Amino acid sequence: MELSDHIVRHLREVVDLPDLSGTRYELREVLGRGGLGVVYAAWDAHLERRVALKVMDAEWAGEARLIARLEHPGIVPVYEAGTLPDGRAFYAMKLVDGTRADRFLAADPPLGERLRVLERIGEALAYAHSCGVLHRDLKPQNIMVGRFGEVYVMDWAVDGVAGTPAFRAPESAVDERSDVYAFGALLAFLLPQGAPTALRAIAAKAMNTRPEERYPGVPAVLREVERFQDGLAVEAYVENPWQRVRRFSRRNEVLLWLLAAYAAIKFLLFFARAI
Amino acid sequence: MWRDADTAIGGNRDNFPSTQLSLIEAAAGEPLALERVAALYWKPVYKFIRYKFVKSNEEAKDLTQGFFASALERDFFQRFDPSKAGFRTYIRLAVERFAATRHQADTRQKRGGGVDPVALDETLDEMAGSAESPEEIFFQEWRRQLFALALDELRAECAASGRHTEWAVFEAYDLADEDRPAYSELARLHGIRESAVTNYLAWARRRLRALVTERLRGVTSGPGELREELRRLWS
Repeated sequence: MELSDHIVRHLREVVDLPDLSGTRYELREVLGRGGLGVVYAAWDAHLERRVALKVMDAEWAGEARLIARLEHPGIVPVYEAGTLPDGRAFYAMKLVDGTRADRFLAADPPLGERLRVLERIGEALAYAHSCGVLHRDLKPQNIMVGRFGEVYVMDWAVDGVAGTPAFRAPESAVDERSDVYAFGALLAFLLPQGAPTALRAIAAKAMNTRPEERYPGVPAVLREVERFQDGLAVEAYVENPWQRVRRFSRRNEVLLWLLAAYAAIKFLLFFARAI
Repeated sequence: MWRDADTAIGGNRDNFPSTQLSLIEAAAGEPLALERVAALYWKPVYKFIRYKFVKSNEEAKDLTQGFFASALERDFFQRFDPSKAGFRTYIRLAVERFAATRHQADTRQKRGGGVDPVALDETLDEMAGSAESPEEIFFQEWRRQLFALALDELRAECAASGRHTEWAVFEAYDLADEDRPAYSELARLHGIRESAVTNYLAWARRRLRALVTERLRGVTSGPGELREELRRLWS
């Protein structure tokens, strides 16, 4: 007897489903599959609310608890972590009502809004690094922008996760600078067509193939972005004199207009007196 | 159970051991590990050759046999580099190279005859209605074979541990090729409660998942590749 397509399809549907018997959760639907496990929408029968349930192999139970300890406005709050009757590890977290970063860009938001999202991501990442946790798989699909502008970094990975090629640092020994690389790739992804060269240079520096040439940490990237927003020169990009003048004039536009107006009035008064 | 006359040449699966051996052991020439790899890959390789190179059943069997014999002789496993590709991709590419070389030689021998018209008819009949590429067929057969092997193990495990009802319930429900029986019907048939049907199914599925994972662990290079294969398998 041959296993028909029909049987294989059915086995694929039922065999991987988590065993939630005896837990407070009822399975609803699959939300997504990551490198580490599957995220399901579930119903919390105790608190009568929908939650997101991430189910992973048993070997990641310790990592699930580690992720559960991260408390930051930019990290989805974890309600509970534990082991399912089938031996797999899980954690239940807030079900975020929002849009993934890649879809968020489809609405072509202005540069300022894109940079605000980047800053929120960077703050969450910097916090996690301060707790000794790396993301390891930072990419637009793992960023959620909520309906009220809140930004969440999702799907925190664990040791051994390879990451996604376009956002993965080339080195095999992963550390904070590998996340800096992915953060740079994310900045490049978030930038619109024709974005300022200085911002592209920041992304390029963060994505340098040599880790020691990158920014030492995510806060350093954030400071650079802030400097750009304040109209200051950034470390990643050496301007020519003309660009320096243009940036200075943009940054001091009001002052320059006042000076110009003052000079014009002085000029007129000079001629008025002469007449 | 799950005999396929086309590919029975791969050996009697019941003889394969239940202990998992790794690719590292296969690389070291451990025969049991090699048998494991052959048990899982025989049929996908056969199907891939058949569809990719339009070969008859017998020709495809010969080429499959030739591929595995050549793989053993030519340090195939030792040359596998996990940093370049997963093992499944490595095998598929190797089969493609091997069969392409033989196919070219055959074509030259036939002096322009090219594809055997009988084989072409047979294979085209089978391919009719199938929109999948040979690569996709290779993956689907690999997945089917993985389940079939794990199911053989589960059945043997149930028989050895006296879990006959668990297996019977699981077979009747999850391996039904047409309409699935109702839980109440299964409960009546086996003289158990409906809740027991739920529990038996949950147990069998859990075991099957564990056996599939173990099988995969034996034919992947490490945790990263294993995770990736599991993700592909279930998605």
